[in-house]
Amino acid sequence: MIDWAKLWNSFTFQFIDKGGYKEVLRGLGATVQIAVFGLIIGIIVGMFIAIIKVMPKYNFFAKILDKFAVVYVAIFRGTPMVVQLLVGHYFLRPLIGWTCDPLIEAIVIFGLNSGAYVSEIMRGGIQSIDVGQLEAGRAVGLTFWTAMFRIVIPQAIKNIIPTLGNEFITLVKETSVASFVTVLDLYRAFEQIGYASYSFLIPYLVLALIYIVLIVIITIGVKLIERRLKKNERKN
Amino acid sequence: MNAKIKSDEIVLSVKNLTKNFDKLEVLKGIDIDVKKGEVVAVIGPSGCGKSTFLRCLNCMEDPTGGVIMFQGENLVDRKVDINVHRQKIGMVFQQFNLFNNLTIIKNITLAPNVVALGNLRKAKCKNFFIKFANLFRKKDAKKPLIEIKQTKKEIKKANEEKAYALLKRIGLEEKANAYPSTLSGGQKQRIAIIRALAMDPIVMLFDEPTSALDPEMVGEVLDLMKQLAIDGMTMVIVTHEMGFAREVADRVVFIDEGRIKEESAPAEFFSNPKNDRLKDFLSKVL
Repeated sequence: MIDWAKLWNSFTFQFIDKGGYKEVLRGLGATVQIAVFGLIIGIIVGMFIAIIKVMPKYNFFAKILDKFAVVYVAIFRGTPMVVQLLVGHYFLRPLIGWTCDPLIEAIVIFGLNSGAYVSEIMRGGIQSIDVGQLEAGRAVGLTFWTAMFRIVIPQAIKNIIPTLGNEFITLVKETSVASFVTVLDLYRAFEQIGYASYSFLIPYLVLALIYIVLIVIITIGVKLIERRLKKNERKN
Repeated sequence: MNAKIKSDEIVLSVKNLTKNFDKLEVLKGIDIDVKKGEVVAVIGPSGCGKSTFLRCLNCMEDPTGGVIMFQGENLVDRKVDINVHRQKIGMVFQQFNLFNNLTIIKNITLAPNVVALGNLRKAKCKNFFIKFANLFRKKDAKKPLIEIKQTKKEIKKANEEKAYALLKRIGLEEKANAYPSTLSGGQKQRIAIIRALAMDPIVMLFDEPTSALDPEMVGEVLDLMKQLAIDGMTMVIVTHEMGFAREVADRVVFIDEGRIKEESAPAEFFSNPKNDRLKDFLSKVL
C-alpha cells in the first residue's frame, strides 16, 4: 500500500522546505528557453535549407548550396542529439575558443538540429503548394526569393503548423539531454532535488507531470494558431 | 478591329525557337514576329506545344535554343535579367493562380509595390555613394543625385489607387478586401488579368484563359479581353475559343508537331485553310 500522507510530507519537504521549487522554476526557464529559441532558429535554418532544396539548380552557386544542404541534413539527422551536444561541448567549444554560457550553446545546437528536421517538414509544405503560385509570382517579375517569401512560404507555413507543433513537442522533451553539457534544465533540477534527500519517487513523478502540462499547453496553443489562420482565409 | 491604329514596330520577335524536355522535342523551330497592338491567336491540337511555346516567351520554360528579342534584348540569353523583362510581359494562366494568402487588392499591388520599392531602395543606395564620392570632388565636378520623386508611402498609395481604378473597370471594387477563395472562377480570371495589367505590360500572354471556367463565366472574361484588344494591347492568346479568335484576333497561328503550320488573317484562316492537318482540326472543332 502506498502511504499517501508520507508521500505528501516528502513532497512538501523536498519542494518547499528545502526550496526545491526555486530550482524547478530555474530548470523550467532553461527548458522553455532551449525549446523556444531552438525552434525559432530551427524554423529559420530549416526554411533556408528547404528553399535551397527546391530552388532551380542552374548556376554553380545553387548546386554548391544544394550539396551543402544535403550534407547538413545528413549530419544532423544522422547523429543523436546527445552526441551532437557532446561533440559541440567537448570538441567544437575548445576548438573555436567559445566561452559562452552552456545554455546558449545548447540553444544553438538544438536549433541547428531542429533545422535539419524542420527543413524536411518545410520542403513538404512548399511542395504541397501549387506550382502555379510561384509561377504567377515569377510571371509578374518577382525574383525567386521574393516570390518564395511573399507567396509560397506564408501558405506553406499554414499547412505545416500541425507538424511544426509536433516538432516543438519533440524538442521540449529532448531538452532533457541538455544536462549532459551542464545546463541546469528541468530534468537536472529534479535530479538534484532527488539527490538532496535520496528520495527520487516524488521528484520524478512531478517531473513527468510538468512535462505533460507543458505539452498540453503547447498542443492547445498550436490548435488555436491553426484555427486562427484558417479563419483568416474565409473572411468576407 | 480595323479601327485600331497599327504601327510596324515589332514588340516581340521570335527566331528559330526550340524546346526539348530531355529527349522529347516539343518545339522544333518557331519563327514569329508580334507587332505592337496586334492580337495573335495560337491554336492547335492538344500536345502540339502551343502552351509550351507561350511559356517559352517569358522564359517560364527555358527555351533550349533560338532567339526571343524583347526591348532590344535576347531573353533566351541567361545573362539577361529576366525579371526586369517579365515585369513588362503580363501572363494570364489557365488556373488563374491568384495568390491565395493575399487579399484581392494586395494581389494586384504586390508586384508594383515590390518593384517600385526595390527601385527606390536602389536609388537611395546609389545616392549615398554619390554623396560620399562628392565629398572628394571639386566644387564644379560634383555629380548630381538621382532624383527621388515619391516616398514609400506615396508609391504604395499610388499603386493602391491604380488597383482600385482597375477593379472598378471590371466592377469588382467591393471585393477588394476579400480573399481569392471566396470568388467565382470568372471573377478570379478577370482579377488575374488586371493583376497583369497593373504592371503596365507591353505585351500580354494568355494561356488558355477560359479553359478552366464554367461555360457561363467564359463570356465575362472574353469581354474583358476584347476590351483590351480594342484599347490596343498587344496580346498572344492560346485558346480553344474559335469564335473569339475569329472575331478578335488580327492573325491566327496554327501550331502542330512543334512547328507553325499555317498563319494568316482569321477570315482566310477559317474559311480557306490550306494545311491538311488544319483542315482536319477545324472540321473537328467547328
